[in-house]
Amino acid sequence: MQSNLYDYLPILLMFIVAGGFVGGTMFVTHKLGPQIKSKIKLDTFECGIESQGNARIPFSIKYFLVAILFVLFDVEVIFMYPWAVNFKELGLFGFIEMLTFMGFLLLGFFYILKKGALKWE
Amino acid sequence: MMIKYIFYFLAFVSVFSALMVVVSKNPVHCVLYLIMCFFSIAGHYVLLNAQFLAAVHVIVYAGAIMVLFLFVIMLLNLNTQSEPHKSTWLKFAAAITSGLLLVILVGTLKGSETMVMPVGNPNAGLIKNLGNTLFKDFLLPFEVSSILFLVAMVGAVMLGKKEIK
Amino acid sequence: MKSLILLSGLGVLTLLSEIFNFKRKIFPVVLLGLLGTIVLSAMYWNTNKHYFNDMMFFDNYAVAFTCLISFIAFAWFLLSQNYFNEETNLTDHFALILFALVGAVIMVSYQNMSMLFLGIETLSLSLYVLAGSRKNDLHSNEAALKYFLMGAFATGFLLFGIALIYGVTGSFNLQTIANYITLNSGNIPALFYTGVLLMMVGMAFKISAAPFHFWAPDVYQGSPLVITAFMATIVKTAAFAAFFRLFFTCFSTIESVWGNIIFVMAILTLAVGNITATYQESVKRMLAYSSIAHAGYMLLAILAMNKFSAGSILFYTAAYSVASITAFTVLSIIINKSNNEAIDAFNGLGKRNPFLAFAMTVAMLSLAGIPPMAGFFGKYYLFNAALQSGQTTIVLVAVLASLVGVYYYFKAIIAMYFKSGSDSSPVEVSFIHKLLLVLTLVLIFAMGLMSDFVIRLL
Repeated sequence: MQSNLYDYLPILLMFIVAGGFVGGTMFVTHKLGPQIKSKIKLDTFECGIESQGNARIPFSIKYFLVAILFVLFDVEVIFMYPWAVNFKELGLFGFIEMLTFMGFLLLGFFYILKKGALKWE
Repeated sequence: MMIKYIFYFLAFVSVFSALMVVVSKNPVHCVLYLIMCFFSIAGHYVLLNAQFLAAVHVIVYAGAIMVLFLFVIMLLNLNTQSEPHKSTWLKFAAAITSGLLLVILVGTLKGSETMVMPVGNPNAGLIKNLGNTLFKDFLLPFEVSSILFLVAMVGAVMLGKKEIK
Repeated sequence: MKSLILLSGLGVLTLLSEIFNFKRKIFPVVLLGLLGTIVLSAMYWNTNKHYFNDMMFFDNYAVAFTCLISFIAFAWFLLSQNYFNEETNLTDHFALILFALVGAVIMVSYQNMSMLFLGIETLSLSLYVLAGSRKNDLHSNEAALKYFLMGAFATGFLLFGIALIYGVTGSFNLQTIANYITLNSGNIPALFYTGVLLMMVGMAFKISAAPFHFWAPDVYQGSPLVITAFMATIVKTAAFAAFFRLFFTCFSTIESVWGNIIFVMAILTLAVGNITATYQESVKRMLAYSSIAHAGYMLLAILAMNKFSAGSILFYTAAYSVASITAFTVLSIIINKSNNEAIDAFNGLGKRNPFLAFAMTVAMLSLAGIPPMAGFFGKYYLFNAALQSGQTTIVLVAVLASLVGVYYYFKAIIAMYFKSGSDSSPVEVSFIHKLLLVLTLVLIFAMGLMSDFVIRLL
């Protein structure tokens, strides 16, 4: 199952297409669009509001809490891939192993719900 | 032959981006360089024939954890570019200690060029073999890691949740 | 292993109690569970069982330390009983403490470096959070952040060391690595030694040995008092047991590599801990420095590295933890009363509550190492083990250091009996605290009298 370098060609192609699309569209829009720069054009529209201050303001910890819980469950799910590939081979024992693991995390999930950590108030 | 050049390229990218993480003034640039670093390390994993680890590395580190990093930067409010002044002595001591560590690491790595490494299974990084090792030999660490996750969850809720009075 | 499962089960149960609303009943259940842990692990005495592909190895060393840790945890729960009455996040604290205990038990019984890492992480992660559990207290926040940053950095060193050793030997198993050393003695690559030294740095941080101790005073002072008590006793014991287990099983044959470094580290730790403790005003901070100093004494057992080491380290950690729990209990009562952790708060305690003053005196004397108490015998056996290996210099330094130690421990005693404070109202002690103090006092004397028995265990 030793993989060959050419096996990665599709992935490389995908990277090139993804990067190329971003770069290409940016290049093309700058070239194609008319280039008029004036004070009025760069101004906020008449129905908009003047932008105030800076975008970098400290925001609520709640976002961070959700993000950190997401990472935890994200990592948890990753453990399932190698398990799923070996599911038949590991048999019932492997199933129980995973059940214990998931049990712990499910408990954590219910605990989080009970504590109201995901409530937005 | 091709692999050798890819390795050198990836090594250059990872070292360069890691250095840029340290020297960049703008914290957001640091994070972007860190993403670059993570991607190049994922490339190293692919070279070592560990595709699963490479994918996980991109998903978890470059994806999820970097978002957390950006969140922390937002939380810290780094608008004012005021870094606390560090005394010259402190810088001096830090330079000496980290320099010594560098000398030791380079020295030992140079000395082990001819070392015979124990040869493992070259396919150990493939998802199937990884799963086999993880769920058979390393069963207990796997289960204990769920306790570690639980601790992290409880801790995050405890610190992040506003107390209801 | 069953004790480990029981402990994790208790942690899970506390979380369930939050979900299903039986929080109020959880405290006695946890106490009973801890007693059960002691019994369960003691049943495995002399069985030497390997578990799960040699991940864990419950030899007598592991069983003894599991019992010790569970017992200290039991005493700790009694000490912190009224702290949790005030806290709203009762289940959080309980669960984190119980999971930290799981980590501690793994740290004393691992046979595989991946388990060592997981144990340390489980223990530390809970503590980072617990250190910052007073969210509105700036000192608590500072303690948590400092502890977390330094701790994560030290864990990095530990992991780097493990990785290098794995690279050379191809195994995480302690026994395999030990066999590798004996098979290849003479042509072990330098990479391996660097790995050993990096692991040593990581572990030295966890036991707060100088020069890796800078975090300890601030973290100990900033954390809530009961958490400080937990760190000073259980964490110290577990970290040291892990350190010793690693070096005794794995690296005892290459003492020429790390012997001198530990030697210098021990001298530095003894000097820094004892001398800095003498000019502390806050009792909490003084106990922090004293715990650094005690890490210095314990390093003697690693230097000795002979058949007396394991027994002496068990006895020393037990004596030190019991005395510390006593001191922290008295301190918590005083702080509750006067909201002042300076040494002046102890003024006139001899008249205000003779029993408390007596308990504190005994604890201080035991920590200082005055003869009839357990602390003296702990030091005696440690020094004896070091002398058996011909480590005369370090024993001399340690004796000098403990003389300095007597000075600052007596400062508290003098304050209690020979100074009169502004406040002379009597201090009340709750029933549970009285029970705990009596228990620990009896233990301090009993361990002193039966030291021979304890030391023969290992």
